[in-house]
Amino acid sequence: MRGLQLPLSQTQRIRLQRALEKLQSLSCKANSDASVTVADTIPVNYEDALLKGHGTTDLNGDLVATVCGVVERINKLVYVRALRARYKPEVGDIVVGRVVEVSQKRWRLEINFSLDAILMLSSMNMPDGIQRRRTALDELNMRGIFEENDVVCAEVRNFQHDGSLQLQARSQKYGKLEKGQLLIVDPYLVKKSKQHFHHLEQFGIDLVLGRNGFIWVGEHVEARDSMVVDQANSSEQSMVPEEKNKTHTPLEMRQNICRIANAVRVLSTLGFSIDADLILETVELSSTVKIDIHDMLGSEFHVLVAEREAERRSLVGKRKR
Amino acid sequence: MEYVSPEGLRLDGRRPMEMRQLRAEIGTVAKANGSAVFEMGNTKVIAAVYGPREVQNRSQQINDQALVRCEYSMANFSTGDRMRKPKGDRRSTEISLVIRQTMEACILTHLMPRSQIDIFVQVLQADGGTRSACINAATLALADAGIPMRDIVTSCSAGYLNSTPLLDLNYIEDSAGGPDVTVGILPKLDKVTLLQMDAKLPVDIFETVMGLAIEGCKAIANYIREVLLENTKQLEYRRGL
Amino acid sequence: MVGLSVGEKHFIQGGIAQDLRSDGRKRLTYRPIYVETGVIPQAHGSARVRLGATDVIASVKAELGKPSALQPDKGKIAIYVDCSPTAAPMFEGRGGEELSTELSVALQRCLLGGKSGAGAGIDPTSLVVVEGKVCWDLYIDGLVISSDGNLLDALAAAIKAALSNTGIPKVDVAVETRSDEQPEVNISDEEFLQFDTSGIPVIVTLTKVGRHYIVDATSEEESQMSSAVSISVNRKGHICGLTKRGGVGLDPSIILDMISVAKHVSEQLINKLDSEIAAAEASEEES
Repeated sequence: MRGLQLPLSQTQRIRLQRALEKLQSLSCKANSDASVTVADTIPVNYEDALLKGHGTTDLNGDLVATVCGVVERINKLVYVRALRARYKPEVGDIVVGRVVEVSQKRWRLEINFSLDAILMLSSMNMPDGIQRRRTALDELNMRGIFEENDVVCAEVRNFQHDGSLQLQARSQKYGKLEKGQLLIVDPYLVKKSKQHFHHLEQFGIDLVLGRNGFIWVGEHVEARDSMVVDQANSSEQSMVPEEKNKTHTPLEMRQNICRIANAVRVLSTLGFSIDADLILETVELSSTVKIDIHDMLGSEFHVLVAEREAERRSLVGKRKR
Repeated sequence: MEYVSPEGLRLDGRRPMEMRQLRAEIGTVAKANGSAVFEMGNTKVIAAVYGPREVQNRSQQINDQALVRCEYSMANFSTGDRMRKPKGDRRSTEISLVIRQTMEACILTHLMPRSQIDIFVQVLQADGGTRSACINAATLALADAGIPMRDIVTSCSAGYLNSTPLLDLNYIEDSAGGPDVTVGILPKLDKVTLLQMDAKLPVDIFETVMGLAIEGCKAIANYIREVLLENTKQLEYRRGL
Repeated sequence: MVGLSVGEKHFIQGGIAQDLRSDGRKRLTYRPIYVETGVIPQAHGSARVRLGATDVIASVKAELGKPSALQPDKGKIAIYVDCSPTAAPMFEGRGGEELSTELSVALQRCLLGGKSGAGAGIDPTSLVVVEGKVCWDLYIDGLVISSDGNLLDALAAAIKAALSNTGIPKVDVAVETRSDEQPEVNISDEEFLQFDTSGIPVIVTLTKVGRHYIVDATSEEESQMSSAVSISVNRKGHICGLTKRGGVGLDPSIILDMISVAKHVSEQLINKLDSEIAAAEASEEES
């Protein structure tokens, strides 16, 4: 069992145990019964015309699971939703990736998938904002847009016939992410929602929840108008790196960034699903308890967050009834 | 030397058909995609799985399936006498190959073409049955990583000393010079995927010993299934809605 | 090692300059240390130390051997570190050899003293059984299971904990032997002598990023370093060893400053480590 690798005192251990038990009792019982491990038979009614989805396979006429997870049935589709697994991309998902290679007319990005994703030069807006054909000069200047190890935010465009993924970054809100930190969590903790870009006004911070488990917390940047720079300006900027170094992130914003990042880390360690509201609640909790930013990663705060989550879910459950 | 006393007790107090204490833990190495620790008595093994990810060496890429690689290494302090070379010696290479072939047979590689899956197995303590413990740990780690498999693989060893078939040999019994049969099965499909034996054994006794090892494998399979199911349930209820 | 973009590097450097690192720590704060002892029951002593995501195991095995002719009154100690491929795929095959050798040599330098055995953190004279004939050979093995920076400090802490956990069997020597014969020894299974670990130093690694130094760097922060100095300090505040890594040259005054900072940090670290080791041994006895 995935243990909490933290030094817990006796009382903390008991409190955590109690909170987790409460969560267990609140969880959907149907889901718990539908959990399967590899090679478990899935109970189905064989007379229906079934569609066998991901995570299942046919074995001597029986439907058998190939991963550990929960069985989901939607109309005629039966599939196994794996929990801890690599990212499973869907068209239209917003993902955050890191550039691994710059090659001919494309960038290769690592996005926590079984293969690297491709971002074509043609799927990217040109810095001068004009819609035009990409010339050979553009190809040579690819590193001016993204270079190796850059963190990029993009959207899943489609799957190639050979299984690899193509991304596009045509809108103003996609593009390079700077001035912040990247956190990596399990993809199953980030659920598909209407909004993945969150601009936290009270902190002046951008929070991007990539569906692939890469979460970016950084300074707020205006929607890409700053990308529209002349070539001349960019060469000027590169000649004065000293100036850039002096403009560090202000201390208060940095504290907020660290608080939010630690909140994400705590939620990921405890295995709770991550969305913007929960992150903000956790940050508020840490401010209320007046806990040091670094102590947010200590045992006491983990236990507090677990207890608070148990409370919150029981309230939600009561409201439903 | 007497390995089975007249009352039917082995050197460590077990009965001939009794397996050692099993203990499994999932998720020990945080950075790996899947990891597990598996203990069979005093034998303790860590397995870590990285992947599926992009193939690092283009020349090894296979177009229609995943590339499975495996490395087995023993810690310096794992055996009674300190080992000089933790890896690269012939025994390690052979066991790496065996584990790779066994796991490759059960992973559905065609679902992840042109990717690479790395399985690393590290022995912390060796007290007989390391091969089996490694395979069991690797199965757990692969399931933890969410890699689709057609069935789990479990493995167990059995031997024949003092005219008694013995299940799950420890190091002393293993080095007694009697036969040592290691079996790996796919429990659901009821198929044997790994079979190794050394020393000699009459055929009818071999059947008994192999049958005993298969029983051991099935018991381990039940345990592993329980552990995985418990883990899945825990992840699910923690995640919430 | 995963690379970092220019923006991220800038962010990390800015954080260190402002005394607020990516996970909220101050420059001189260690991550929470978690110690477990007795993880390898077959060894004479063992310990596992977790420092954030860094996870290392150290084990101590003692075997009887003959002391070297040059130093008949001292036992022998050998330290060897191995990086397991479970920590990172790049440690596969021979990939981890360079790092393992570097760590082994640094630990030997800090804990074992000079070639003559003088000034060692572990006293080798306590290992001799019969002078000139029989002594204990102590093999200390470290294994890196998971790596997130600051391996040297974690390994040194694990070795300290493992040695506290070590029980060397008591040896009865047959008295009636001629001087040129190997004496008969009887290794007791029951009685053990505990090792005296109060003199064992800890290692504090100071990583210089920009103009400031930080303690206990994560692997992201380590990728930004210009140089790193590892200083081993014992309880009395004496320096037992020093290693500098990284190609960038350092002004001597900076090194002296780093040493004083290390001494200051080591006091807290030694106290924290001792209390963790005591807690670990207590919980090990309970279970």
